[in-house]
Amino acid sequence: MKKIFGAVLAGAMMTASAVYAEITIGLSVDQLFESRVAVNNGIKAEASDRGYEVIEVVADGDAQQQNAQIQSLIAQGVDAILVCAVDQNTIERALLAAKKANIPVVAYDRDLPDSRVVQAFVGPDSLIDGRLAGEYTAQVLADYEGEITIVELIGALNDQNGIDRSKGFREGIAALENVNLIEVPTDWDSARALSGTQNAFQANPDVAAVFAATDTHIPAVETVLADLGKLVPKGEEGHVVITGVNGSNDGYQAVLSGTADAFVVMGTEATGRKAVDLAAKIMAGESVDRLNYVGGNLYTAADAEANKAKIWGAPK
Amino acid sequence: MVETLRSLMSRQKWVAIAMATIVLAGVLSVVSPVFLTFSNFQAILVQSSVTAIMAIGMTFIILTAGIDISVGAILFVTSALFAQLYMDTESYLLAFTATLTCATLLGALNGLLVVKFKISPLITTLATYSIYRGAAIHLTGAQNIPVPREMGFLGNGRIWGIPVPILILLVILIIGVYVLSRTRMGVYTRAIGNSERSAKETNLPVNKVLILVYGFSGLVTGIAALILIARVGGLQSGIGIGIEFTVIAAVILGGTKLTGGSGTVVGSVIGAVFLVLIDNGLNLMNASPYIYDIVRGSVLLAAVAIDRYSAVRQKASLEAQRAERLGLDTPVSRAGGGISDAPEVAAK
Repeated sequence: MKKIFGAVLAGAMMTASAVYAEITIGLSVDQLFESRVAVNNGIKAEASDRGYEVIEVVADGDAQQQNAQIQSLIAQGVDAILVCAVDQNTIERALLAAKKANIPVVAYDRDLPDSRVVQAFVGPDSLIDGRLAGEYTAQVLADYEGEITIVELIGALNDQNGIDRSKGFREGIAALENVNLIEVPTDWDSARALSGTQNAFQANPDVAAVFAATDTHIPAVETVLADLGKLVPKGEEGHVVITGVNGSNDGYQAVLSGTADAFVVMGTEATGRKAVDLAAKIMAGESVDRLNYVGGNLYTAADAEANKAKIWGAPK
Repeated sequence: MVETLRSLMSRQKWVAIAMATIVLAGVLSVVSPVFLTFSNFQAILVQSSVTAIMAIGMTFIILTAGIDISVGAILFVTSALFAQLYMDTESYLLAFTATLTCATLLGALNGLLVVKFKISPLITTLATYSIYRGAAIHLTGAQNIPVPREMGFLGNGRIWGIPVPILILLVILIIGVYVLSRTRMGVYTRAIGNSERSAKETNLPVNKVLILVYGFSGLVTGIAALILIARVGGLQSGIGIGIEFTVIAAVILGGTKLTGGSGTVVGSVIGAVFLVLIDNGLNLMNASPYIYDIVRGSVLLAAVAIDRYSAVRQKASLEAQRAERLGLDTPVSRAGGGISDAPEVAAK
């Protein structure tokens, strides 16, 4: 009996030590939507490849809830925290608690530049992504005669990725002369994008191009164009040049059908994998770069299908 | 003319928001030459349709002194259900029927929880907001789902040259006006808002009416969801976030009292149009994206001030009539209320 008890005890201790040796990553997510899920899948895939556990918590856009969730991750003894913050200012207190507990913190997708805790950031290079779309638009409209009216569907004004995409797009179209840029704020909301596009076309019937900060707005743009009888495929007279950033199925389908001209696809899986890699390096005591950008790639109808595997939103 | 307007404002609360809408439209027509065109007028109505339809349902709820914070989540979950069901079965009949049934049941469930557990509607629907939204995220895995192109007819099509969303809004508006002004249901709805206790004491079917009212709001939210996804071309996980506040703002702007008992669906629809006008004007003027919130807030404040002025006029007018009936030189002041905020009459 004593032998059996001893064997069970030894087994239990071995299991406990094995669990203890495992690395657990705390994943604090601002809210769930398509591209965020794609990055999170990259994180989970990389963690799984390395044999790490992942505890995922989602704040549903509530900064206070995210604070409480990070406190909970610290209490559960996670080895590192990957965070995409709802609000930069609110989250710092919770992150300071992580620092106190010697838990490294990596920000992903949305940087926390003023944080005293975050050791590394990985996310899209939104400036370059926007610039790629802008340069493409400028190239297509290079021979356009007269005033060039471009509608820009801007993302949330408090989101650095939205701001940078806008800035990059403007840099990209800088080569064009006589541009009338119509700014339409959308707050990433397709219903607002639709109304804003409709209003912009009311005031400016001769719009030459539309830039959508997220390609998920492209179907809404198509609705407006169809309503106005201006949904003309690429290459035909009266076509409105449409570009976007993201890489969703909406953008992919629009480019394939010829409604949209090009879209910049973010490297969502690479971002997720890099986040875990950075956390692993910090845990191992290695030094890492503070800023790590994953640039996107621009695809048109000519090469989108051939690169389907690299487009995260394309049907698999 | 001024007296006629004053008289109208004192009798119909929605006249205040209608006047504010006309003033705003007047300003916009001066600022932008495109504003006063038929196509822009149509665009404004189409853009208002989703909020306006939901506001009609919400008016019934607020008239009972209730509120439903979960309508944005009902919009999301029913959109998700439609998109998922259609994708799986390719049956419009099944997807439409299931979506509208589900929307009605989710609304009615809110009503049932309010009457059974006697918890404040605000807290109850805040909880169901979370449940419904979570259910939709779970159902779709936070993925966007495109809807078939034929669905575009619901958001973009025309019958007799009139955009379908406007026709649907008109039908629901007529039903709403009829029910509120010509049926027992309308009388009971207002009675509950005026005093639920009195309504119960006079044996009105309070619980049944409340469940029906929340269920009706759910149903029209389901219809609004179908129009919205048809217009934006598919389901997106951000759909409906924050729309409940726009809907409630439209109802309050339209003259419905948050404390219940008084209000009209016509006012709520005008309130929804008013809110769309602000963004429409800013878009037409190509205003800086950074001033949208400031302008929205300022215009809303001005509209509420007009509404408040109208309320003061209404109270003053009623007190003056009462004083006249009683043959008094000065108006009557009731305990705890009175006319302290009606300076013109008080000064007589």
